[in-house]
Amino acid sequence: MGKETKIITKNWGKINSQNIEAYIHAGGYEALKKFLFEMTPVSGVEEIKISRLCGRGGAGFSTGTKMESVQKEKSSEKYFICNLDESEPGTYKDRMIVDNDPHLLLEGIIISSLIVGANKAFICINGNYRKQAHILELAIERAREKGFMGEGILDSQYSLEIEIFSGAGAYICGEETALINSIEGHRGEPKARPPFPTQIGLFGKPTLVNNAETICNIPWIILNGGHEYAKIGSEKSPGTKLFILDGAIKNVSVVELPLGTSIRELIETHGGGMAKGKYFWFAQIGGSSGRLILEKDLDEKLEYDREAKIPVGSGAVLVVDRTVDIHEMLLSWTSFFRRESCGKCVPCREGTFRLWEIAKRAKDGKISERDLETIPDILWVLGNATFCPLGKFAAVAFFDAIDNFRKEILKEKNIN
Amino acid sequence: MTVEKILLGFDPEPRNILPALKKISASFGFVDEENAQKMADYFDISISRIFETATFYDLVKTKKRAPLEIQVCSGANCATKDAYRVIREIERQLKIKAGDQFNPKIRLEIVSCLGQCGNGPVVIINETAFLRVTPRKIYDILKNYL
Ligand SMILES: Cc1cc2nc3c(=O)[nH]c(=O)nc-3n(C[C@H](O)[C@H](O)[C@H](O)COP(=O)(O)O)c2cc1C
Ligand code: SF4
Ligand code: FES
Repeated sequence: MGKETKIITKNWGKINSQNIEAYIHAGGYEALKKFLFEMTPVSGVEEIKISRLCGRGGAGFSTGTKMESVQKEKSSEKYFICNLDESEPGTYKDRMIVDNDPHLLLEGIIISSLIVGANKAFICINGNYRKQAHILELAIERAREKGFMGEGILDSQYSLEIEIFSGAGAYICGEETALINSIEGHRGEPKARPPFPTQIGLFGKPTLVNNAETICNIPWIILNGGHEYAKIGSEKSPGTKLFILDGAIKNVSVVELPLGTSIRELIETHGGGMAKGKYFWFAQIGGSSGRLILEKDLDEKLEYDREAKIPVGSGAVLVVDRTVDIHEMLLSWTSFFRRESCGKCVPCREGTFRLWEIAKRAKDGKISERDLETIPDILWVLGNATFCPLGKFAAVAFFDAIDNFRKEILKEKNIN
Repeated sequence: MTVEKILLGFDPEPRNILPALKKISASFGFVDEENAQKMADYFDISISRIFETATFYDLVKTKKRAPLEIQVCSGANCATKDAYRVIREIERQLKIKAGDQFNPKIRLEIVSCLGQCGNGPVVIINETAFLRVTPRKIYDILKNYL
């Protein structure tokens, strides 16, 4: 497979994707038919395991393994959740999927649900994505008319209902247990694990939660086989990935590239390099919970790998140039996490608040000796003592900023 | 639409609690005690349970809204594109401070990413989104609301 392989974006800009006929004409819903008439749920999971597809929602967990555990649960009721909550700053790839190819997502949702034995699926969409919720509603109607969902899909024994659940503005609700709480009508706070949602999830039933981008890989894998998929991209994590390129570059865009692509290639080849008159300072990879990288790290490859120095996260790449005020970035990161901390656990609730206060003092040039002494403690607590990963996320960019830009933050440096 | 009518549009099941709250909030501007009580009765849960959920979410309001509500995204991507200068400019022109509850007519709120990062900075005024806002453009935008 060459570098040109397009799985998620193959129809973008080519067909009127909101038209189901156009999608079908381009080969759409063929994977669903293949699954229905030539495969079984067990052989479906097998292909996905062979593909070594891993989750695109950030954590990079093996999709096949997670699917298999839900499939194996003996329960007459199971749920599938498409996670389209997407609220990480800098991340709008899942919105682009809906804008450009809603039926690809639906086909993926239908196949994934049937594989694990769910007869009800929820698409949990960011509450600000009103237009996209509408696009999906129409797409669901069209798919139902064609018999791709509902009772007895294409006259098979499979049935599936899909419902759209629109969020109410809380970043933490992207975390799967918090998401489940919010569908159940509770505060969107994360729950302890185990039990895992794969065993006891939505309404107490086995539930598979997958990111929208992850799901869009499923039809391709079903059609072309897991072995073909595993040939694409990096050895450690095969497949392609959507990267969201933004900031001080020429081409602000969302591109699909094989995993294992270097940050330099993303910025220089696909982002068109630095915008006119802008000079690279650092980049943030994976959204506001992502690490900051300097020029020397540009050749790092982006792939899902637990040991990776630079986690891919959501695939967001924000290029920051020398004219940007680091104090404003600190304020942006810390105020985001302070606002979005759900408040359930003290280390995160307090830690995010204190970092934000320090960021405000830094901006006013009033950072104190005491602040400098406590910063490492706060970062340690956030990194090690919080209930869910949000607390850890809150420490990442702050840590890298203090580590790399201490002088600028303390305003000792002349402004250039 | 009356609150009863809104409620009857939903089956009284847990998965409809948040959608119903959002709808009531959007229709009446916020969820007041009277409507919360009706909702509690309809869903057969306690009113404290209603507010427990309602107060968690940004898109469900539990306080009366101001006639002019301005939200500015300060997410990292918008921050690299001068969002903070836009905020300062709004503060200067309207003589208010972000987050301040003092002025009953105008409220300026800083919010997180709105999923339009490529087109930032994003400003939302009474539900209308403005993209690629600059400190210079903000005056012309605000003019229409004053
Ligand atoms: C604070 C927080 C926010 C998250 N936000 C999202 C999100 O917006 N979308 C998403 O798909 N996953 C998000 N996740 C990850 C989910 O918990 C979950 O791992 C993911 O949806 C699983 O799908 P995947 O295996 O396909 O990646 C978030 C996790 C945390 C801790
Ligand atoms: S780490 Fe933060 S977001 Fe997670 S449970 Fe604790 S307070 Fe809530
Ligand atoms: S960071 Fe402002 S819209 Fe995403």
